[in-house]
Amino acid sequence: MGLTIAERMELQFEIEQFYYEEAATLDERRYSEWLELLTDDIHYWMPIRRTRLMEETDQEFTAPGAMALFDDNKDLLEKRVMKFGVEVSWAENPPSRTRHIVTNVRVLEISGDEMSIEANIHLYRTRLDSEETSWIGRRLDVLRRVDGSLRIAKRHIFLEQTVLLSTNLSSLF
Amino acid sequence: MFVASALRQPAAGGSENDSRAIRRSSRHFGRPCSQAATCEVCPLREYVDIENGTVDRKIFSDPDIYKLEMEQIFARAWNFMCHESQIPKTGDFFATWIGEDRVLATRDKAGQVQVLLNTCRHRGNPVCRAELGNTKTFLCPYHGWTYGLDGELIGVPGHKDFYRGDLKKEDWGLPKAAQVESYKGFVFATMDPEAPPLEEYLGYVGLIGLDLIAARGDVEVVDGIQKNRIPCNWKLAVDNLFDWYHPQISHLSAERVGFLPTATLMPNDQTVLLGEYGHAISGASAIPGGMFTSPWRDRPEAQEALGPVGMKTAGHPNIFPNLWVSTNGTQLSLRLPRGPLETEIWWFTILEKDMSEPERQLSMYMATHLFGPAGLLEQDDGDNWGGSTYATIGTTSRNYPLNFAMGKGRAEIQEHESGQRWIDTTVNEHAQLWTYRSWAEWMDAKDWPALKRDHSPIPEGTI
Repeated sequence: MGLTIAERMELQFEIEQFYYEEAATLDERRYSEWLELLTDDIHYWMPIRRTRLMEETDQEFTAPGAMALFDDNKDLLEKRVMKFGVEVSWAENPPSRTRHIVTNVRVLEISGDEMSIEANIHLYRTRLDSEETSWIGRRLDVLRRVDGSLRIAKRHIFLEQTVLLSTNLSSLF
Repeated sequence: MFVASALRQPAAGGSENDSRAIRRSSRHFGRPCSQAATCEVCPLREYVDIENGTVDRKIFSDPDIYKLEMEQIFARAWNFMCHESQIPKTGDFFATWIGEDRVLATRDKAGQVQVLLNTCRHRGNPVCRAELGNTKTFLCPYHGWTYGLDGELIGVPGHKDFYRGDLKKEDWGLPKAAQVESYKGFVFATMDPEAPPLEEYLGYVGLIGLDLIAARGDVEVVDGIQKNRIPCNWKLAVDNLFDWYHPQISHLSAERVGFLPTATLMPNDQTVLLGEYGHAISGASAIPGGMFTSPWRDRPEAQEALGPVGMKTAGHPNIFPNLWVSTNGTQLSLRLPRGPLETEIWWFTILEKDMSEPERQLSMYMATHLFGPAGLLEQDDGDNWGGSTYATIGTTSRNYPLNFAMGKGRAEIQEHESGQRWIDTTVNEHAQLWTYRSWAEWMDAKDWPALKRDHSPIPEGTI
């Protein structure tokens, strides 16, 4: 990437801090603040993973345009966020308790104002009395610098589960 | 659990009657059969009270009832396997379930669809662990017994040296479903050789149900089956598909956030079709120009396939036992039992091959965002089914039957000159009660001839 070690360290620090702040907005249920971290053209997508034979692992995840678990634009994410605040949104009333752990952050590519970032995500959730879910996966983001601040322009989430072992997916990744 | 101790007591009498005696003791929890005088086989009918429109909670969590369901319902019924577009080429396979039996739908070398038990005849291990794909053979990873796409045993390591030729390969192929049939590309299989042909099984209600997707034209399954597990009994997930009473509360948030208008959630004009063997269609009427009609319905081929009664409904069909045709979402959903307290929900999305790009995008938008675990509707459903299921376990709670009486005695059944019947009504629970009534008939029938003889005909008059 043509950066010095010092420049890479500074960039790594900036991105990690951005992710930690972002995780805090979700875990502290400051969803409207989370929305502000997204660009208007965001694509938020979670394809479906399948158990495939070794020679077919290139088709392990569904392709863009095929079925997915999330395939959202900003408008849909705004609706999901609005839903968190509606008292008759039963999946989230009483609200889930979540903890986002973001690790293994790697800058894959820098291109103008945009960077491709890969990270590992562990989203731990408990609901109601005793429901407990751990979703672990890989996040492939595009972060864009807008007016000097980082914004999420793409978030593609690749989970490790095939059959989802959860009642629903009412949390954000 | 609750009745296991009763089950473990050896039954009195000859061995021929043992299983029936065991079933009787388990069904009545040590109490005498209330219809013993008239019932040769201890009836599960008494768990479904047609007169009062109630259902005993025990059927939703009792492990012995669940085991019987696997035998009496899933091993006998025509179970949906896949759509032929999922396995177009030789060697394509799709792994699914018939009750607790793993099965594989494959396309063999002759181009035929086969449905095979996915269990090696040697030690029983699954011979295929992928969900879908393409293969030449199925090689058991344990000892290497190898099967062809039609289930034939074609390779046994050590056949000459260890078995010394004693193993007759032709006797040890993968067991096949007793019958496999496809209706307009929708593949079904039954493990029971006595089951009637698929179209007879479906009757006009089941056929209309499938035609509500097939009549759209040349359709195919979009890659990607959404799958998730909900801690609920499969029947509560099935009964919910007819439930046009819950959206105004369960899914009110989808309306509040501007995803769907209230009228879509709960139209008051409802059409109900009740079919033989438990098939039913219930939900929104297809009112011309209304919200629940679609342009494809105007095509003459579609009108002919659906017929005048089929054209009345835009509701939700269930192909008994567990296949929901979600017509407005161009989707199919299976409610697969994974134990009495767990259900796997699968969503298949099915679109016309010749859709315009805007139409396709709209359909995909709805398919992705209505249902499935992240769906703006369905994410609010699972807790209800799970909550209802677990409330059938408590020693005291389980004695209070569930109420399915909405609209009971208030509906007049209409009959078309074709003989097809329907109900015009408002929001109701006719289809749910019909499903449980049929469930009991399946559970009480000792075999297909008995079920054919004893199942309820499509009702007439007032219901």
